[in-house]
Amino acid sequence: MGRRNTTTRRQFLKFVPAASVGLSLGNSASVDASFVKYGKFHDTTKCIGCKRCVSACKRWNKLKIDREEELTDRETDLSGQTWVVVNLTRDKRNREDLHYLHWGCQHCIKPACAGACPVKAISKLPEGPVIVNENKCIGCRYCYQACPYKVPRFDFEKRVAAKCTMCHDRIPRVKPACVSACPVGALDFGIKQEILAKAKKRTEEVGGYLLGEHEAGGTDFLTVLPTTPEALGLVVAPEKVISSDLDKLRITSFGFMGASLLTGLMYMYSRTEEEQKEEEEEEKKE
Amino acid sequence: MMGNAILTGNTKSPAYYIWISSLIALMVLGGYAHFMSLLTSQEILEFSIRIPWALMVSNYVFLVVSGSGLCIVSSLGHVFGMKRYELISKRCVFLAFITILFGMFSIAIHLGHPERALVYNIITPNFRSAIWWMGALYSFYVLFIAVEYWFLARVGLANKANGSMGLKRKIYCLMVVKKTDESQESQKNDHKWARFAGIFALFFGLSALSTLGAVFGHTEARAFWYGPYYPVYFLFSAAFCGYAWLISATIITYQVKGKEIPEKLKKLLFEMGKICALLLSIGLLFIAYHVGSGLLNPASSQSVMLLLNGPFSQSFWLFEITIGSVLPIIFLLYSANKKNISGLLTASIMVLVGVFVMRFDFLVVGEIYPMFSPMGKDALVLVPSFFPVLMEIFVIAGIFGLLFFTYTLGVQFLPIEEELP
Repeated sequence: MGRRNTTTRRQFLKFVPAASVGLSLGNSASVDASFVKYGKFHDTTKCIGCKRCVSACKRWNKLKIDREEELTDRETDLSGQTWVVVNLTRDKRNREDLHYLHWGCQHCIKPACAGACPVKAISKLPEGPVIVNENKCIGCRYCYQACPYKVPRFDFEKRVAAKCTMCHDRIPRVKPACVSACPVGALDFGIKQEILAKAKKRTEEVGGYLLGEHEAGGTDFLTVLPTTPEALGLVVAPEKVISSDLDKLRITSFGFMGASLLTGLMYMYSRTEEEQKEEEEEEKKE
Repeated sequence: MMGNAILTGNTKSPAYYIWISSLIALMVLGGYAHFMSLLTSQEILEFSIRIPWALMVSNYVFLVVSGSGLCIVSSLGHVFGMKRYELISKRCVFLAFITILFGMFSIAIHLGHPERALVYNIITPNFRSAIWWMGALYSFYVLFIAVEYWFLARVGLANKANGSMGLKRKIYCLMVVKKTDESQESQKNDHKWARFAGIFALFFGLSALSTLGAVFGHTEARAFWYGPYYPVYFLFSAAFCGYAWLISATIITYQVKGKEIPEKLKKLLFEMGKICALLLSIGLLFIAYHVGSGLLNPASSQSVMLLLNGPFSQSFWLFEITIGSVLPIIFLLYSANKKNISGLLTASIMVLVGVFVMRFDFLVVGEIYPMFSPMGKDALVLVPSFFPVLMEIFVIAGIFGLLFFTYTLGVQFLPIEEELP
């Protein structure tokens, strides 16, 4: 229903050439005719910190369960075996104002990790999830360095990068494991536009901040914060695509300019050979 | 003299056996640590999951940058036609080859699946990734530097083949692909091809070096690394690293052999010392720029403060600045003027030690502060110590053992000596 309602005239016009190309390629798997993008949303004002999302994630993805980690209010960090965490954040201006933050991969619209992976083991699916192909990952951990949120962690057992997949093997039939497990509706999943509208509305209601709408070029995981990220002691990513291709080209070009300069200096230095020869000849003459 | 027989392979020399046994012991130690990491978990080689690039990667950077620097120095002779540099070209190219080789070995141990890297880098390359470009360019570089060394050493190897018997002769013949011709014409031909390979090695070496810098420069999420600084700085730091490696390896080899350094080579060594001092001064300006601009940028000022007045201040001020830059500049210039070989050796070793520490510092400091994290700015307190773990040190010791062992074998069996007309 939602899909029909959200298809605009412009989208329909975009669909016509895409469909004709798709038909001309027959059964080619590379053609994606789907326009449905999904998103996940977390409302920190509703979260009670029960960590059922964490255990549901671990059960569905067959990750190691650490009972210590699952204790309420126990601060935990992401790892190869923990793809989502729920940590307590405190408003700096009002120390009694506490909120739980569900944290994991933000599923960036233009993920820096996918651009950094040397073997294309990380990809952004057309539906929204950013996933790691664990049969392809070489374990260099460059994705971790490139990610503005330091999300893809190294799984020391499989020796590959691991992170939240937005349960791409469940969606859209069933909601992601964490969303299904939430007892208070603090997590939600659905068509991106609907989720975005819902998140914006909720942000307005609580007078807070919507994290992920613009940060790092926008993400498919949105978080409603009760106040500004700075007040919660969070360092925010800039509102632009991180490590864009154009930026990479700009930086690389500086390197090549440096290499050209060095070659020029080496050439100038090599000319001293002739001067030395002349000096030696003069010495001989004397 | 004890050192007299170290590299001559004299079976009666205890010094030779002590040296070789120490290197084998280091290799066994490294092998043990690596084996244990395979048997248990790679986690034993890491001091924090939050700082995945530490000693192993810094050692890789140290060795490959040194290798590229040696290629820069060697190309002065072959590519740019400086006759006086041709004197040291064989040693320089051989060192460039083995440093890059063991640098790659270091990163192979760090990778989760190095075997996949060989396959998927070819099958599904990501042209947007700096690591892919670095890997590809360094592969070509290794190929051309090996070819360059082969052409430089072929006559020497042919000479050894012609002068030996039995299995030794067979091995040398295999190494020169049965081209045992020692005529003037073939030497000229070799020289031409060595120059040709040298041009390509320099091109790929410089490109790979700036791309290695770009691996860090592209990571916008790490404010301390981000920007055009590292792609450019790596080029200049490679040059002084190359000089330091060559000066120290040449002097040590002559000293342990108990041989007098020829006057022509001495003159070149002092000249190299002066150039190295000049490059180190430029390096200091680079560091000053990086610190200054880093402090002005709010995103990276915290990281810079870790170096200036934090857990890394000792290694920054003592190793990076004093031992790695300021003192060597003074020592190098003083030794070059006073014609003091020991001063030159001390200064070049100091440069290498300083640069080794510097590579570790820049890597770890860049990884400490996240751009965004639910943990906020308190991430720093979660890592109890920034000193590498013992197993990590074992692996690095093993790699250095392997590197020095290969160099010793090279000096013994391959033509890397300077040939004076």
